[in-house]
Amino acid sequence: MTRLTLTFLLASSVAASPLMAAPANTVDRQTAEYRKQWHSDILTGYQNLATQGQTLANQAAGYCQAPSPEGFEQTKQAWLEAFLAWQEVRFVDFGPVEQGNRAWQFQFWPDPKNLVARKASYLLKDEAQITPEKVSESGVAVQGFPMAEYLLYDQAFANGEEALPAGRSCKLLVAVTRHIADNGQSLANDWQGFQSNYLGSDQYTDTTIRSAMAGLEILEERRLATPMGLRGNGKRSVYSADAWRSGASLAAMGASVQGIKQSFLPAFSKLLTDRKQSDLAEHIAQQFDEVLANFPEVDRPMAPLLADDNGYKLLQSLYIDLTQLTSLVNDRAAVELGVVRGFNSSDGD
Amino acid sequence: MKTLFRPAPLALTVAALMSAGCANTTSPDAADSQPATKASVVEHYADIAHAGYEDALITAKALNKATDRLISDPTEANMKAAKEAWLAARVPYQQTEVFRFGNAIVDDWEGQLNAWPLDEGLIDYVQADDYQYELGNAGATANIIGSNSINVGGETLDVTNLTPELLANLNEIGGSEANVATGYHAIEFLLWGQDLQGFEPGNGERPVTDYATGVDCTNGNCERRGEFLDAVTDLLVSDLEWMAAQWAPNASENYRSQLMNADANEGVQKMLFGMGSLSLGELAGERMKVALEANSYEDEHDCFSDNTHNSHYYNGQGIQNVYTGNYRRVDGSLVSGPSLSDLVAQSNPELDARLNAQLEASMNALGMMKAKAESSQNPMPFDMMIAPGNAKGAKIVNGAIMALVEQTGSIEQAARQLGLEALSPDDAGHSF
Repeated sequence: MTRLTLTFLLASSVAASPLMAAPANTVDRQTAEYRKQWHSDILTGYQNLATQGQTLANQAAGYCQAPSPEGFEQTKQAWLEAFLAWQEVRFVDFGPVEQGNRAWQFQFWPDPKNLVARKASYLLKDEAQITPEKVSESGVAVQGFPMAEYLLYDQAFANGEEALPAGRSCKLLVAVTRHIADNGQSLANDWQGFQSNYLGSDQYTDTTIRSAMAGLEILEERRLATPMGLRGNGKRSVYSADAWRSGASLAAMGASVQGIKQSFLPAFSKLLTDRKQSDLAEHIAQQFDEVLANFPEVDRPMAPLLADDNGYKLLQSLYIDLTQLTSLVNDRAAVELGVVRGFNSSDGD
Repeated sequence: MKTLFRPAPLALTVAALMSAGCANTTSPDAADSQPATKASVVEHYADIAHAGYEDALITAKALNKATDRLISDPTEANMKAAKEAWLAARVPYQQTEVFRFGNAIVDDWEGQLNAWPLDEGLIDYVQADDYQYELGNAGATANIIGSNSINVGGETLDVTNLTPELLANLNEIGGSEANVATGYHAIEFLLWGQDLQGFEPGNGERPVTDYATGVDCTNGNCERRGEFLDAVTDLLVSDLEWMAAQWAPNASENYRSQLMNADANEGVQKMLFGMGSLSLGELAGERMKVALEANSYEDEHDCFSDNTHNSHYYNGQGIQNVYTGNYRRVDGSLVSGPSLSDLVAQSNPELDARLNAQLEASMNALGMMKAKAESSQNPMPFDMMIAPGNAKGAKIVNGAIMALVEQTGSIEQAARQLGLEALSPDDAGHSF
């Protein structure tokens, strides 16, 4: 199984693509216009992530200073909001998010071998101080939302001796949420610094379109079809969804679709319209709304929906809408625009 | 492991107007004097695959003999010989992995031989407090060797007679991909045992007395353990016989004949797709980057034997073989013929030179990993390279990753150079 959050920048993804090769100079100027809007829309998403990450870190620090049931609930809520803010920008797989594997630092996934639990148990039993430096050198499974989710939501952990607000667990929660907040802030800053590079290179038009295509494909295949048992061995399993501990798998999907709609679609619609594809642009915009219309009804933990045939129908309906959206963007629009996909990190098994 | 992700994100297909007429014109002998054609290159690709699977079969038969000797006479020397035979069998097999991606017949079959990671508690005893299995796997602690019937997810199965057929049928029992009772890694576990060393030096330490008879037997069920090892090595041999036959020349009903009767562009596409997919997504990504960035020795490929460096090295070699058209067989002879390199050089010698240099560079980087792992002084196997805070190890692994990433860029260019670039929307996943 491949983690699709891993993306390599293919330094030599060369060869003039049709978008770049379009004849008139006006088109070059225009693709910079699209990128200007993308840059700004994605920045909004990154800034939101930075803000929510900060709130989470503050909330966790406050809770661990003076633990209370209310403080615990508020910390969970802050985790969820920051996690959803990450989901909204998760599709962006190029630029500053590639530095130091930030995407994996935010969310190491999938984790079939339960590395998160294993790493938590190792760190909590260890004698060494839990410090920001310790978190920084402990690998991506320690550094992001899944680790904080484990500490806040895991049922076996909550019933054990080390459950929050136990000292070392609290130290780990505070250090991990601080790591998330710092990463969110640096990402937003670096994205601003990336502006001239991004606007100056036509290649990023294709790159941006491909990132949304990959984001939709991951949503459909990995995040929904796989746990539904429509891929691979045909077994339904909530463990192949993300955020199963908090029951936020579906909420996270909704946030990712919403995020692509907010940060990608506006400039993409304009690009399609300029290429005399306004019907298709309209169709795609409608299909985003069709997918989002499944929410908030389907915004609930996935495990009971997988266990019950009536519940499963809700997932099927979401799956069908999502499939249609993916097909419109990844097949029809991509073909119209001549966006060619290269090898990506999901080509393994 | 079976592919979870059937609709391949990348589907290179063929521009419709490409040379349709050259599919059945070659004989390998002609290659020396005549320029390579797509058809002759595909034919030689099948020759390399055939030689590779034959070598895998030859070495698997040697392994089968060695394990038979171990079972009938469990001495340290026979254990050592069996382990050496296993290591030797990996050399040709790992070079064939490049045939997986693009050739569905290989990908559908290989799970029974090379599935990984596996939850070894399905097969035999494990030390429970250091055993992390796949989440939700109901069969992870079934211990087939330790019981005559096992219960997985509510289903009870009679496992009294450990035959090759039974083991094959147990694969992915309970719907978990980690339930692997067959193949190289099951055999590896039966020879080496669980690796309890984590990031420390050392690998599995299964005592040879796990195969002893009577009171000398350690950890119980020695006779059944021997029966398991016997059945699983027999199955490996028969599986490889089947695959070698699929690539054999002069047969009318095998996979090779289908490949040769199809448009040669399809074959060339499979070659490049296999090279690129193994290079980037599988080897650089799944097998190295994940293990490194998460410091996860659970993601180590040959974890029981600490042979991961060779597994990676010979994967890389397989990629280079397909491009250069050269394969060094286990008996030392060289299989050589019309290659992708020849084809690319015809129209873009600069690209061909670059890709050849990049393949060489990635073999050097993987060679560095292999050398460090096998060094007589302070060897650093892959599971130590990926340990937290091991900057030196991380540098070696990253060097190999970057080299593979770079060559993949040129593989894509080679595909374009040969006229294979149109995006083919694959709707296999959209079956509603």
